[in-house]
Amino acid sequence: MTDYGHDLRFGSFITPANAAPQQVVAVTQAAEEAGLDLATFQDHPYQPRFLDTWTLLSYVAARTERIHLSGNVLNLPLRPPAVLARAAASLDLLSGGRFELGLGAGGFWDAIAAMGGRRLSPGQAVDALSEAIDVIRGVWDADNREPLRVHGTYYQVDGAKRGPAPAHPVGIWLGAYKPRMLRLIGRKADGWLPTLAYLDSLRDIADGNAVIDEAAAGAGRDPRAIRRQLNVGGQFRTASSDRLLAGPPEQWAEQLAALALEYGVADFMLASDDPQALAVFGEQVAPAVRELVAAERAR
Amino acid sequence: MSGAPDLAGRVADGWSVALTGLAPDARRAGLAAVDDGARTAGRDPREVHRLATIGGPVSADTLEALAGEGFGVLVLATADPDEVRAFAGLVPEVRARVAAARAQAGVRVGTVRSAAVRARRRPGIDYDAIPASLADRAVEPGDAQYGGVRSNYLRGGSPGLVLRPRTTAEVVDALAYVRGQDVPLGVRSGGHGVSGRSTNDGGIVIDLGALNSIEVLDEATRRVRIGPGARWGEVARALHPHGWAITSGDYGGVGVGGLATAGGIGFMAREHGLTIDHVRAVEMVLADGSVVHADETRHPDLFWGVRGAGSALGIVTAFEFEADEVGLLGFAQLTLDASDTAGLLQAYGEVVEAAPRDVTAFLILGPPRRGQPAVARIMATVDSDDPDTIIDRLQPLADIGPLLDQQVVLTPYPGIIALPDPGPHQGQGEPATRSGLVEHITPEFAQAAERFLRSGATYFFQFRSVGGAVADVPPEATAYASRSANFSAVASAAAGAAWTRRGTRWPGTSAGSTGASRPTAVPAGCSTRTRPRRCGGCAR
Repeated sequence: MTDYGHDLRFGSFITPANAAPQQVVAVTQAAEEAGLDLATFQDHPYQPRFLDTWTLLSYVAARTERIHLSGNVLNLPLRPPAVLARAAASLDLLSGGRFELGLGAGGFWDAIAAMGGRRLSPGQAVDALSEAIDVIRGVWDADNREPLRVHGTYYQVDGAKRGPAPAHPVGIWLGAYKPRMLRLIGRKADGWLPTLAYLDSLRDIADGNAVIDEAAAGAGRDPRAIRRQLNVGGQFRTASSDRLLAGPPEQWAEQLAALALEYGVADFMLASDDPQALAVFGEQVAPAVRELVAAERAR
Repeated sequence: MSGAPDLAGRVADGWSVALTGLAPDARRAGLAAVDDGARTAGRDPREVHRLATIGGPVSADTLEALAGEGFGVLVLATADPDEVRAFAGLVPEVRARVAAARAQAGVRVGTVRSAAVRARRRPGIDYDAIPASLADRAVEPGDAQYGGVRSNYLRGGSPGLVLRPRTTAEVVDALAYVRGQDVPLGVRSGGHGVSGRSTNDGGIVIDLGALNSIEVLDEATRRVRIGPGARWGEVARALHPHGWAITSGDYGGVGVGGLATAGGIGFMAREHGLTIDHVRAVEMVLADGSVVHADETRHPDLFWGVRGAGSALGIVTAFEFEADEVGLLGFAQLTLDASDTAGLLQAYGEVVEAAPRDVTAFLILGPPRRGQPAVARIMATVDSDDPDTIIDRLQPLADIGPLLDQQVVLTPYPGIIALPDPGPHQGQGEPATRSGLVEHITPEFAQAAERFLRSGATYFFQFRSVGGAVADVPPEATAYASRSANFSAVASAAAGAAWTRRGTRWPGTSAGSTGASRPTAVPAGCSTRTRPRRCGGCAR
C-alpha cells in the first residue's frame, strides 16, 4: 500500500473507429472541454476498422490546444523504434509538449505477422521492447555528439544521428501485466499503464507495484520516478452500488481516491466514447478525487 | 533516372521527378519511359500523372512549357514564403494559357480511370459522357468508394454508376445525362427504402445524400427547408432545440426524400398525420430537366402528386415542411404473448381505433420460435409529459394479451428516432416485402393473419396505426388516397416467397372490397422499411 505522491491526472481512452472519423475527433475535443488531462487511443495497426493511431494522434493534436495525447498503447512490433522516436519528438514539438509515448510489446502475433511484422515470443517481445527504449532515448538525446549505436538482438542502430529532442520530457509508459515487463518498467520506463479489466483483482496492482519498485531500486532509480496508471471502465448511475465504478460520481470519486492513496495510481483513463460520461468524469469525478486525495495527504 | 519512370508507368499513379540538374533530354526521356511502361502494362498513359519539382525562380513561360510536355503537377522547392507567393501569383495565368492551348488542341480534361476499373464498366452506360460537374464524385465498380455506395439498407446492389450531385443544378445535369443512357435509373435519398429502387444491377443511381441541408425558414410559422438526402434522425435532432418535430417513420436512418414523397407513417401519425401532410412546397427537377417549384398555387397538380407518388414524377431537391410543436413524449415498448395471435390482433385493432389521437402504436409479430410462444412487440407513443396520462393511455394496450415485458420512458422525439451506426449500408440479397392498408382488423382478417404468421411465410409482420389526423385529409387532396384506413400492414420474407407474387391478396381482404382495405402490392413511392430488429420509415 503505497502512495507515490504523484499529482493526479485524468484522461480518456477513446476508440479510434474509422467509420465516422470526425466523431473520434469530436470525442477528443469533448475530453478537452471536460477538463481532462489526457486523450489516449488504442493502437492496432492490423485492425481495418480503426484509424491509424499515429495519424490520428497527429490530427487531434492540431485540433486541440491543451490536452495531452498518447497511444494506449502503441504497437511496437509494427513501428520501428528509431522512426517512432523522431515521430514522437516531432509531434511533441508541434503540439507544444503535449505528447506522451505509451508503448506495448505487441500481443496479437498472428495479426502482426499478417501485416509483415516479425513474430516474437512473449519473452522475446519484452527484450525487443527494452532495446527499443534504448533506441528511442538514444535518438532523443540530442545533446550527445556521439552517433547512436544500439546493437541489440531485435533492433540495430549503427551510427544514426541523434535528435530532435522532444519539447518536454516525454513519458514512456508501458502496458504490462507479467513480472518481466514490470521489471522492465522498473529499470527503464516512466509509467505503468495496465487496464483494470485485465487484472484479476486490485491485489495485482499492489503486487505489480512491488515488482516495479524492487526493479527500480535495483537499477538505482527512485520508484517515484514511475507513474502508476490505470485504464478504467464503468457506469454512471443514480443509485450507489457495492461494485467498483458503478454508481454516482461521488462513489467513483471515493473509489478512485482509494486507488490513488492505497495503490499509488495517479493517472486514470476512462474508457468511453460518450462525451457525457467524459464530462461527468472530468467535471465532477476528477475535482472530487483531487480534493479527497489532497485532504488525506495533508493529514 | 530519378523516380524510376518505367516503374511508375507500369504500376503507379504518378511519376515525380526533381528537375534541378536534369537535362531537358533526360526529362523528356523520362516522360517517354512512363508512357512506354504504361503501355507495356496495358494501361493508358493518361492514367499516370507527371509531377515536376522545380527550383526557383520560375516564369509563366517555363511552367506553361512543362505543362505542355505533360506535367500536370508543378511543385516549387523553396522555404521562402515570398518565392511561394510569387509562384502562386503565376498560377492563374498559367492555368489560363494551358486551358486555351488544350481547348485549341481538343484535349479532354479529367482523370482517366485505371484499366482495371474500366474493365468492370457495365454496358449501356457512356462513361466518357458523364458531365464534368459530376465526374469527380461519380463512383463506378472498381472505385475504392464503390463498396460504400452500391447497396442500400436492405438489399445488395451492383449499379454501373453512382452519381452524387451536390446541388439542384447538378441534379439537372445528372438527369440530362441519364436520359441518354438506356439502363435502369434509381434515385436514392437515405437508401433505406424497401422498394429496392435506390439501387439496381447495371444501372445508374442518383444519390442525393449530399443534398442534406436542414434550414429554418421562419420561426413563427415553423417553416423548415430540408434536402432529400438528410435523414430523419438528423432532422429530429436539428428541430428539437426549437421545440419542434415532424412525424417521420420510426427510424432515424430513413432519408427525407423517400418518405416525404410517399407517405410517412410515424410515431405521431394519429395526432399529426403523415409526413407528406407537413409538406408545404417542393423544389423538384422533372424528367425533362426543368426545375419547378410546386405548392398549393404553383403547379398544384404536381404538388398533389408529389405527396404520395412523388418518385414517379421527378426528383425533389428541397422540401419545405411545417413542423409541429412537440414536447416530451411517453414512449412504451411492450412485449406480449401472442399465442392467441388472432385474438390479440383483433383486440389491438379495437384498442387503437378507440384510443385518443395522442396515441400511435406499432405492433410487430414474429413467428413462434422453437418451444417459445409467438410474441408481439408494441411500440407506442403518447403525446403527453404527464405520467398518469401516459399510463392511462397505455394500459388498454398492455391488456390485450399476457404482458411479458414492458419499458416506458419519457423522452424527446430524437430519443425515439434512433440514428444508425455510422458507416455505409451493408444490405445483402433481395428480401421481399409487401404492404397494404387495412380499414379494420376484423375477426376474419385477424384469423387469416394468424394462419399466415404460423405458416412461417414471414419473419416480420407489422401493423402500424394510422387513422386519426391521417383521415382528416380528404382522399382527393393528395396522391395518398387511402385516408380512411386505420392500419398499415407490412410483411417481409426471404426472396422469392410465393405469397409475394403479384396478385396475392392480403389475408382477410378480397379483391372486390373498396377503398382503403383494397390490397395493394408495394406501390410506387413506397419506402416501407422492414428489418426484424428495427423497422423504419414505412410509407404506406
